[in-house]
Amino acid sequence: MNELQLPDIRACLEGAIPANMATCAGDGTPNVAFLSQVYYVDEEHVALSFQFFNKTRQNILANPQAAVLLLHPQTAAFYRLHLRYLRTETSGPLFEGMKAQLAGIASHSGMQAVFKLLGADVYRVERIEAVPGEPLPAPMPRGGMLAAVRRCSEQLARCASLDEALNAVLSTLTHSMGVQHAMVLMFDPAAQRLYTVASSGYATSGIGSEVQLGQGVIGVAARERTPVRITHMTNAATYTQAVRSSFQAGAGGIEAATEIPYPGLAQPRSQLAVPVLAAGRLLGVLFVESPDDMRFGYEDEDMLVAMAGQLGATMELVQVAGDAVEAAPMAAGPEPAASGEPLHLRRFGGTDSVFVGDDYLIKGVAGAILWKLLRDHAGQGRCDFSNRELRLDPSIRLPDVTDNLEARLVLLRRRLAEQCPAIRIEKTGRGRFRLHVERPVVLTEIS
Amino acid sequence: MKTMSRPPIPPELLAMMARGVSVIVASRDAELRPSMMRAMGSNVENEGQRITVFVSRAQSRQLLQDVAAGAPIAAVFSEPATHHCVQVKASRVAVRDAAPRDEPLLVRYLASMEREVQRVGFPPHLTRAMLACRLPDLAAVEFEPEQAFDQTPGPRAGKPLMDGAP
Repeated sequence: MNELQLPDIRACLEGAIPANMATCAGDGTPNVAFLSQVYYVDEEHVALSFQFFNKTRQNILANPQAAVLLLHPQTAAFYRLHLRYLRTETSGPLFEGMKAQLAGIASHSGMQAVFKLLGADVYRVERIEAVPGEPLPAPMPRGGMLAAVRRCSEQLARCASLDEALNAVLSTLTHSMGVQHAMVLMFDPAAQRLYTVASSGYATSGIGSEVQLGQGVIGVAARERTPVRITHMTNAATYTQAVRSSFQAGAGGIEAATEIPYPGLAQPRSQLAVPVLAAGRLLGVLFVESPDDMRFGYEDEDMLVAMAGQLGATMELVQVAGDAVEAAPMAAGPEPAASGEPLHLRRFGGTDSVFVGDDYLIKGVAGAILWKLLRDHAGQGRCDFSNRELRLDPSIRLPDVTDNLEARLVLLRRRLAEQCPAIRIEKTGRGRFRLHVERPVVLTEIS
Repeated sequence: MKTMSRPPIPPELLAMMARGVSVIVASRDAELRPSMMRAMGSNVENEGQRITVFVSRAQSRQLLQDVAAGAPIAAVFSEPATHHCVQVKASRVAVRDAAPRDEPLLVRYLASMEREVQRVGFPPHLTRAMLACRLPDLAAVEFEPEQAFDQTPGPRAGKPLMDGAP
């Protein structure tokens, strides 16, 4: 059978050209309405935005049959969808995905005061009609996406560490998809926050910067465990990632001093955030953005979701493999003696925030890990450590067994490389690493 | 059904409708299944009391079948750049073949639409493809609106502009 399927016409659902909808009242009077969104749910369903209690709303509740007229934004071909109304969702992944996208559409069309999503009306697509006409030739299909996913998959399958996995994903985005701005954030379930572990294309790496669950495009994708794609700049505060949480709340003192600025674009015009999941658990978010409108389409979303699935599985495997290794043996040879000006490190016990001199370095679990390593190094002359002993050490207070220790170590290693290169953490094998301290260290605890 | 001597469509909305803006037409069958298509042209006469919409027969089989069977019609006129929008409805229509005398109207409509659609960022060749049609394929659907609604998006959308049928 060669019947037209919904995935064949996804380009018409990008909202570039508003669609129209026809419904019919119980008394037989037809009605036409404009749709700001026709949202692709799956091969057989679309969701339309319910924004007002209007005639369309009344009609659809009385008579669930509807027609939607779509126009292909490149070829100007018409398609008619024949729909049947099923239900309205007012929360959850579909609703939140649509709400975020609508915020972008509203800002783009100057309707931010008007467009507000009350519900996601889910319809079954009963028939798709290709309307005869004289359309323009279809643009060349975008090639190479599947090949890029394949290359990324091959690279991920070879990765033995989280570092390598993160690099594989970012390099695929940059080199195969032409993405200029990307980041990977990990989820900290205890703090209900996400922290940046890798990024590319920004003025500052932003490694260690944090996003609250539910905050901005990234936070919504994480909270709802659903991709969120915005094709136009939004002025809606909900989706503005750059507004920082604790500053918003007027927090001062240590909280403000330990804020690492979010590295993202100040005025992104396209954003796409995809949750990274494994075994049903949220591990983090893969995020890309662009200063151009309509930069990311359904195919980009497909690709990122496929990559995020692979990344999640790899993260999980690397983590399990790392934890399995027993405590490390003693160092093979003596470390070269530290020399030069001493480094003054201070730890604030309450938040495990560590400062080098007056400069903030790291906090939380990664801060506690660093402190344990430095203490053991100073007290016992130890350099070699294992993930497993960190997991068992009560002073580190790892939230639970599922916490991504590898990600904490990546964060710590990268923050040290940026902020304090005299202290390095080098991976020496699966679940093992070595601490290099090139200058004398003075440790001060402040409770 | 009362007949209005002057339909109270505000003059600025009437001017918009007459200028040649986006028009979507709908009807329904006996099972109340909606049918719809974009008009390839429109003509608004007598201060909105007489409206003609031109649709392609090939593109609008169900719609034309439905109105021929006596179903009512709804047509939405909208200006893409401002979202200003008026919906008119009528219980009866007359359908005739488009004729050579309609051609100047269609040419003027296309020119107006090229401008309107360009204002929201789409090139004229896209509009020409969207409205590509041949006179022998066009049906002229004529009606006298009995109801008109301000349909500009927002909470007031659907507010009646004039009374007519219930």
